[in-house]
Amino acid sequence: MKTLKSTFALLLCATIFACSSDDDSISSTEGLEGQKGELTLKFDNGVGDSDFIFGTTYNKSNGESFQLETLKYIISNVRVKDTDGNTFMYPINNNVFIVNEADGNNAGEIYITLDNIDAANYTEVTFGVGIDQERFALGAEGQGDFLDEASDEGMMWSWASGYKFIRLDGTFSTATVTDQPLSVHMGSVGTSLDNYREVTLPFPNTVLVRETTSPEVHIKADISKVFDGSTTANFADGYDQVHTDVNETPIIADNINGMFEVHHVHND
Amino acid sequence: MKDFQNIKKIVIVTLFIAFGISKVSAHEIKGSCSNHETFSFFCDLCGCSTSSGSFGFGTLSNANFIGVRYIYQNFESKNGIFDDSPKSEETFNTYQLWAQIPITDAFYVTANLPYQDLNRSYTNSTENISGLGDSSLIGWYKLAFYKKKKAGETVDFNSEKEPSGHSIQFGLGIKLPTGTFEERLTDNINPGFQVGTGSVDGVFSLGYNYGGDKIGVNTLLSYYLKGENKNEYQFGNQFSYAVNMFTAFSTEKMNIMPFVGLSGDVYDSIKQYGETLQDTDGNILNASLGSELAIEKFIFGASYTLPVSQSLFGDNVESKQRFSVYVNFAL
Repeated sequence: MKTLKSTFALLLCATIFACSSDDDSISSTEGLEGQKGELTLKFDNGVGDSDFIFGTTYNKSNGESFQLETLKYIISNVRVKDTDGNTFMYPINNNVFIVNEADGNNAGEIYITLDNIDAANYTEVTFGVGIDQERFALGAEGQGDFLDEASDEGMMWSWASGYKFIRLDGTFSTATVTDQPLSVHMGSVGTSLDNYREVTLPFPNTVLVRETTSPEVHIKADISKVFDGSTTANFADGYDQVHTDVNETPIIADNINGMFEVHHVHND
Repeated sequence: MKDFQNIKKIVIVTLFIAFGISKVSAHEIKGSCSNHETFSFFCDLCGCSTSSGSFGFGTLSNANFIGVRYIYQNFESKNGIFDDSPKSEETFNTYQLWAQIPITDAFYVTANLPYQDLNRSYTNSTENISGLGDSSLIGWYKLAFYKKKKAGETVDFNSEKEPSGHSIQFGLGIKLPTGTFEERLTDNINPGFQVGTGSVDGVFSLGYNYGGDKIGVNTLLSYYLKGENKNEYQFGNQFSYAVNMFTAFSTEKMNIMPFVGLSGDVYDSIKQYGETLQDTDGNILNASLGSELAIEKFIFGASYTLPVSQSLFGDNVESKQRFSVYVNFAL
């Protein structure tokens, strides 16, 4: 019986120690100086718990509904914070992007790939929706290629009025009207009104940026929050046409600020 | 004592073989419990876990055998983060060479070598991977109980002890990363489509069997201690259970044994880089119906399994059904 016990003990040891790892953990932050990696932000638009699809009718509060044929917004000043509290700001000249639902892949995800990110263990991302006053103050010349890109995408009024931070076009219905035109074009309106807002999203798991990895951050954007965010914006009250109004646009800007969350991350 | 000496020899040989296999795979994939990439959560549920206790390690009567088993499984997985995200259908075909080999009266080994053929259809595309899966090897010690002598009977030390039909089995084994991992699959919407886990896992089992004249019961509890693979990815430890009740109808030529059973798995969360990943735990309870048919040395078996309740991986994966057939040759 004793021999049998020892053979079982042997098997047990073999089982447990068979898997001892001799590699250094990739999550270690030792020796990362100078190492660069890639980080992808995947934007995935939805309405509540439903995927966003062009032409689909979505119900909102107050018995109103909407469907969209355009859904775009501008993301800028993307930066990530690591476990030591250091912030890595993506190079400012290239740090502005248009997230256009029409550019989505089969799964409706829009990728923003950031390269040359300092290798580190990151815990949160911060970005702005729209264009801040500092970038706008660089003038038309200072916008680089983005001015043309934004114009082509219909994300500009004139230079004086500036950028449209978000653009929703479609139709809406209320208790009294059906399929009326819906346009939410919210921006800062030159320098007179600052609707640029920033949002910080914690990662549910640490994001390991390394030369050898290309982690993905899956960001869920809940479009229903544009109207049913911190403030309820009803079409019947004039939110069917939002352009440069000093009262309406800050409400939409604040609502949009609350529509993002990091659903999960992939460390591949 | 001589028997135990033999056991020792055999265990050592078995271990040798086991590590021989792991060495071969280690050579291929650099590292003792390595694999090239990260897997997704479903992997261990689907393709890779067909050697798990909820599938059973042997025949109803706990007889020794060598045989082949085919398992068909059907899953539906959500490919996205929304309630209405599109679903993919996964069908898994597993072809197993399996055996229960006696070493002594009290000691035996079960082994399992699967070949996986996995298919997935997603909107308009289909995908297939196939290859050797993860094999497992378990050593068992069987403690059989004997009938007590009736009071007043003369004790005859020379007579055979009469088995009571009850027995308990203790199993200890390993699951080896003999399945190949394909890196390209990790970029898919459902990256859990792999034939192996890349980890060396420990298997601890406790079984209770009763085989009477009319009915039999066999129960099995197994715990899987999952190892970390090369990508610092560690599947959650798994608890599997199975209870089967069977009866027997005998004719001159054959023995028919229909059975009903309940089985299930409980999965712990997956860890990667030492952190727990959300929505990676789960549990499932299955009901099975089947029969074995023994003709001379051959045992033919078939079973159909349907989930009774399940909550797998944040409800992103749904098991639909499984079906298995086997032919064993009694040793």
